[in-house]
Amino acid sequence: MAVDQTTITQLEGTPVQYEGGLARPAQSYWSESWERLRGSHFGMFFGGVLVVLAVIAITAPLFSAFVTHLAPTSVNLNDSFAPFSRAHPLGTDELGRDTLTRLVYGARVSLGVGFLTVAIYLLIGGSVGISAGFYGGWWDDLLMRFVDILLAIPTIYLLIMITSMLPLPIGPIIIRHDAFSLSTIIAITVWGTVARLVRGEVLTVKNRDFILATRSIGASNLRLMLRHLLPNVLPVMIVAASLGVGQIILLEAALDFIGLGVQPPTASWGNMLLNAQSYFYHSTSLVILPGICIVLAVLSANIFGNAVRDAFDPRLK
Amino acid sequence: MADHLLEVQDLHTVFPTKDGVVKAVDGVSFHLDPGETLGIVGESGSGKSVTVLSVMRLLQRPGRIASGRILYKGRDLAKASDPEMQEIRGEEIAMIFQDPMTSMNPVFKTGWQVGEPLRLHKNFDAKKALKEAVGFLHKVGIPEADKRADQYPHEFSGGMRQRAMIAMGLSTGPNVLIADEPTTALDVTIQAQILDLLRKVNHDFGTATILITHNLGVVAGMCERVMVMYAGKVAEQGPTEDVFANPKHPYTWSLLRSIPRLDAQEHEPLRAIEGLPPDLINPPTGCPFHPRCPFRIDRCIREMPPLEPVGPTQLATCWVTQAGRDLNEAAS
Repeated sequence: MAVDQTTITQLEGTPVQYEGGLARPAQSYWSESWERLRGSHFGMFFGGVLVVLAVIAITAPLFSAFVTHLAPTSVNLNDSFAPFSRAHPLGTDELGRDTLTRLVYGARVSLGVGFLTVAIYLLIGGSVGISAGFYGGWWDDLLMRFVDILLAIPTIYLLIMITSMLPLPIGPIIIRHDAFSLSTIIAITVWGTVARLVRGEVLTVKNRDFILATRSIGASNLRLMLRHLLPNVLPVMIVAASLGVGQIILLEAALDFIGLGVQPPTASWGNMLLNAQSYFYHSTSLVILPGICIVLAVLSANIFGNAVRDAFDPRLK
Repeated sequence: MADHLLEVQDLHTVFPTKDGVVKAVDGVSFHLDPGETLGIVGESGSGKSVTVLSVMRLLQRPGRIASGRILYKGRDLAKASDPEMQEIRGEEIAMIFQDPMTSMNPVFKTGWQVGEPLRLHKNFDAKKALKEAVGFLHKVGIPEADKRADQYPHEFSGGMRQRAMIAMGLSTGPNVLIADEPTTALDVTIQAQILDLLRKVNHDFGTATILITHNLGVVAGMCERVMVMYAGKVAEQGPTEDVFANPKHPYTWSLLRSIPRLDAQEHEPLRAIEGLPPDLINPPTGCPFHPRCPFRIDRCIREMPPLEPVGPTQLATCWVTQAGRDLNEAAS
């Protein structure tokens, strides 16, 4: 009895802390995911490599002006196949063009196409997926059957078919083998999977009560899709994009290598490899260096992408 | 013509399915006056929710309004265009849903969500909407509303979310607030708080309220008038006191009799309504309640009675009471 009494008084003496819930600051999905991503040191390291490559790519003209003092296309036939030296840190090719400068400019193409393509295919795939899932019915059928057809054709054949038609005049614009056109073309051939993923997610979200509740306060369809639905499917899009950059860099390099991508004299890692094929025995470094660049970029993009996926995928929590 | 704020006339809402057409709402008529509280009661599947979703034009496919008029301030909402409905939803008629746990968007902070109707209808900018939202959160009894507005819905309890939903509904000063079973998902003490809040809202803001529930006790405490629905049809409507004291439809009578009573004798069995709710694809002939009705006469099996005045204040769809019989007397 006595023990019970003291317990009761102790309990009564304890002030009830209703404020407890408020003391801890609210953590959003984004800050939580970002913290998880930061916790992955391996992923962050390769994310850093990717950032360094991107900075080099962006500052390529400065690099050529102040570091190598050479343009990527400046030819010097007296200096062909030069070994590594002070003037040419990574040697020269058969026309005496500086390999380091060309690799730096090649990074522009590879990373530029990589990120731009992912951005474009997220835009296309996201719009198609959201509108198909949201409206449903015949619109959904139409879009998804189109996606089915698109996904039934191997991407590389589709790409070869389209790029071999270049340069292609469409009205006043002539589509050439430049990085922007290639990004658009690659994006057009690969957005299908994103559209499917996003549509699936929209289907699970759109029947939740809050969508009906948002409708009941008078939100238009467009506002529902962009303001209320999109943030809910964004994690899926991030996950879909996370492994995309590496894939696209490889795909673009492959196109360059078979001569249907960025055309010489513009330097890209893929067409440098193509070019080096002929001189494989003469100068091995011409093959190995662009190869290393491609491997490094793709590896970094994939490992970082993996870390991003692990951090942002709500299903992996 | 009497000017009601909202008047629903002979509403038919159907859901075509592969097994046949479900007549979820089958000729429902009612009205709502400014500042009034109307209760809609009925068992699951009786068409209560579909009725108000039809009024809001928020039916999910394949549901559609087959016929009938929904007059709001004289405008027929059944024929209004989508942009017109977007103007009315949230601005004129607001709605609160059954499950507060799922009716808020998990990715937005509460203050932002509560301010959304203001951004949609009053062209408030983000800052002004948030300030106003905090004010409304405070009004619906959320402590430390300014801090709470900065939190995500998952940090709220069910009762607080329902309060936030009410704040969201009220923020634009609508004329009608539709509450679709607002307390079903909450525990009993919170239910009482939310009902108190709805009563206060009705009193302080003069918002006409439609309260959907299957709890007759809630209706008795909250509503001036009540409409009882059965199988997509109106069984009876009238002032709550009269309907409860003197039901004019056997379904209402059976419902009231089946409520467990505190003053019941020991071991007195609960009186349930015999039978099952009808199939809405192939409803029974005549009055849909006739297979379960203890007062059934032959005419009930053949003909559906119209909704007609029975007694001074009530309307009912029943041949028996329309012929002048009193159910309480007939039963004893």
